[in-house]
Amino acid sequence: MAPESAARRRLAGLRNLAVLLAVWELVGRLQLVASGALPAPSAILVRFWADLADYPPHVWSTIQSALLGFVIGNAIAIAAGILFVLSPLALRLARGINIAIFALPPIAIVPVLVLALSGMTPRVVLAALGCYFVTMTATVTGLTQVDARGIDLVRAYGGSAWSAMRLVQLRSALPAIIGGLRIAAPNAVLGAILAEFGGGGGRWGLGTYLIGSLGRGDPARLWGIGLAATAIAGLAYALFAVAGAAVIGSSRAVTVPTSASPSLAGSWSGNPAKVAALALASAILPLLLWWLLLKGLGIPDLIAKTPMGVIDYLFFAEAAPRAQERLLAALVQTLPITAVGLFAGLAFAFVLALSSEMFPAATRSLMPVALVTQTMPLVALTPLLVLLLGRGSAVTLWITISVTFFPSFVTIAQGLALVPRAALEVPRAYGASKLTELRLVAVPASLPYLFVALRLAVPRTLLGVMIAEWLATGTGLGNLLNQSRGYLDYGMIWTVAAVSVLLSVVFYQLVVIAERHTLSRLGMRTSE
Amino acid sequence: MSAERDIRLAHVSKTFLARGTIFRALEDVSLTCEPASFTALIGPSGCGKSTILRLALGLDAADSGTVTIGGKPPRAATASGATGVAFQDAALLPWRNVEANIALPLDVLGKPRAEFRLRIKDLIHLVGLDGFEHALPGELSGGMRQRVSIARALVTNPGVLFLDEPFGALDQILRRQMNIELQRIWSEIRCTTLFVTHGIDEAVFLADRVAIMASRPGRITQVIDVPFARPRDRTLFTDPKFHKLNDLIATVLHGA
Repeated sequence: MAPESAARRRLAGLRNLAVLLAVWELVGRLQLVASGALPAPSAILVRFWADLADYPPHVWSTIQSALLGFVIGNAIAIAAGILFVLSPLALRLARGINIAIFALPPIAIVPVLVLALSGMTPRVVLAALGCYFVTMTATVTGLTQVDARGIDLVRAYGGSAWSAMRLVQLRSALPAIIGGLRIAAPNAVLGAILAEFGGGGGRWGLGTYLIGSLGRGDPARLWGIGLAATAIAGLAYALFAVAGAAVIGSSRAVTVPTSASPSLAGSWSGNPAKVAALALASAILPLLLWWLLLKGLGIPDLIAKTPMGVIDYLFFAEAAPRAQERLLAALVQTLPITAVGLFAGLAFAFVLALSSEMFPAATRSLMPVALVTQTMPLVALTPLLVLLLGRGSAVTLWITISVTFFPSFVTIAQGLALVPRAALEVPRAYGASKLTELRLVAVPASLPYLFVALRLAVPRTLLGVMIAEWLATGTGLGNLLNQSRGYLDYGMIWTVAAVSVLLSVVFYQLVVIAERHTLSRLGMRTSE
Repeated sequence: MSAERDIRLAHVSKTFLARGTIFRALEDVSLTCEPASFTALIGPSGCGKSTILRLALGLDAADSGTVTIGGKPPRAATASGATGVAFQDAALLPWRNVEANIALPLDVLGKPRAEFRLRIKDLIHLVGLDGFEHALPGELSGGMRQRVSIARALVTNPGVLFLDEPFGALDQILRRQMNIELQRIWSEIRCTTLFVTHGIDEAVFLADRVAIMASRPGRITQVIDVPFARPRDRTLFTDPKFHKLNDLIATVLHGA
């Protein structure tokens, strides 16, 4: 039976795709959407064929920087994740740096990176930054949410924390780490393209190609470039999806752990003075790093603003009141739409993750289509969405939802997939419906993952909003950043970068507080 | 040799902080298991049986009192490979096959697996799992998993063996079978054993003496000697003296 239904599912998927393509072709041919902004697939193909000779150097350049960033970023991320689980002190100290790296909307630091670094380096750095936090969090989550009995066993033979890590935690964290890499892969592509977009690193790269083609007003070419970028990101994602499916079967706990897992993070609540000192140190470290990097690279003070430079610009310089005014005006435009986009994207992801548990067949046949739209690197998507939706707040909302949705969905779905079989069988044994099963077991059990998803979504929302503002709506922080680039207003460039990171950090902290509160009430541990 | 194989707990106390309230898991518990003896620890749920075992294994630290194994502190004893342990749940690593799961303590202790190949083969035979060497835990029944965990506990040839309700999740028939097998296995190896259990009959069948615990706070109320000669076989289960001793322990348990 099984192969037959698998074949039928594939057939249904193909059928959906064919229907979609046919409708698209029709819509494109008849120029139904925004007077030809949505060209027919055949027109895109024809254009792609005509441009074919242009693609290889651009594609190769993007892949090179994305791949290099992916390798470097993830190697650092996994090593850091292991270090953080073994040493709670290191986790505490690096907290500020972690959150800052995680929270920085890449678009906000593109101009800064291009100012401070040369050649391909901004692209590689941005691709690596896009990978670091996702993979680091996935590693820490995987290593700490491990079946505690395995660790007990190793410790019962006098094994050190490192033996437990080596023999039990690393292997059982593998699905989580691969899940992280799966999200990191499209992130790396996105990071590389974003940096190209911001003007870093020469004439090649899909982002450069896209920017160069924007002025020509040829929707078919924009779509071609967008789809090429999507294909790269999608392939990278698919690679790790397959790898994940191969390891998850043998990693699922055979039975449900009977006792609550002991805290691996270690408790630091004992000495308030020590806790405060650590918190202060972790907050100062990122600023110190910022300062050290600039000093180390020897960039002139005029271009590269240190933390003190930004404070001076915003509060003490002659033009400070004017700068404050512009910043506040931008914030008032950016913040409300960010909040709306965040909740819409998360709600959408949660509903889809639940329905993929309830109706696996239906979701699976829709998945290829959803995947294509969702792995589309955001920047490549934006000009197309502008063509489709115009330059109002609708386009901002769409872009925001489309960036938050994907990582949230993957994280939540993973949480649902990791619920032990036995736990699901308990309500099933009482004749529970799928919905009851989800409500009673799967959803509460995946709650830590829901919070992870929320934490992942916060800065991406701000990124989505800022990209839309930069490229489409001409409002808010994104626009301020773009304008300042044009005016060579270095102070404002650094200020917007710093303020947007700070904003993200504040949002993030609010989520963390809510998470701690909720999970401790339910007797779960936070994975942070 | 034999002096290195005892388990000694002297005036051990342990409290836990659970969601803001203090829980006295153990209060002034003293227990000595002589070398090559088999001690069963029995008591109601939550009386601290497993806590004693975790302290003896160095998984937790006592608030006061001392715990030694063969004269050494628990962490030192376990790290030297002198102990073996099987938990209530088989706690097998799902990605390791039967052989590799049995070999886990060797990996922890840094002993080369190659030298133990024969030992692992013997153990698989001893617990009756011939032919399942390469099966994954997910492919085994509950009883088979528990046999793997017992084989794993024995792989280091330990002088001291800790068993934490190893048959707690098995049905009564399988449990009897496993009791008889454990009896046979133990008669061959004779290591100092601390056996935590809920089952009065398995405690009496297996042990030289039964330590009875009470809860709130967790403490040992009485230690009863089991006089039956070894080797014991299944006929003991039908012996009136066996039932009399069972009843006595049940009375002490309920009275406590």
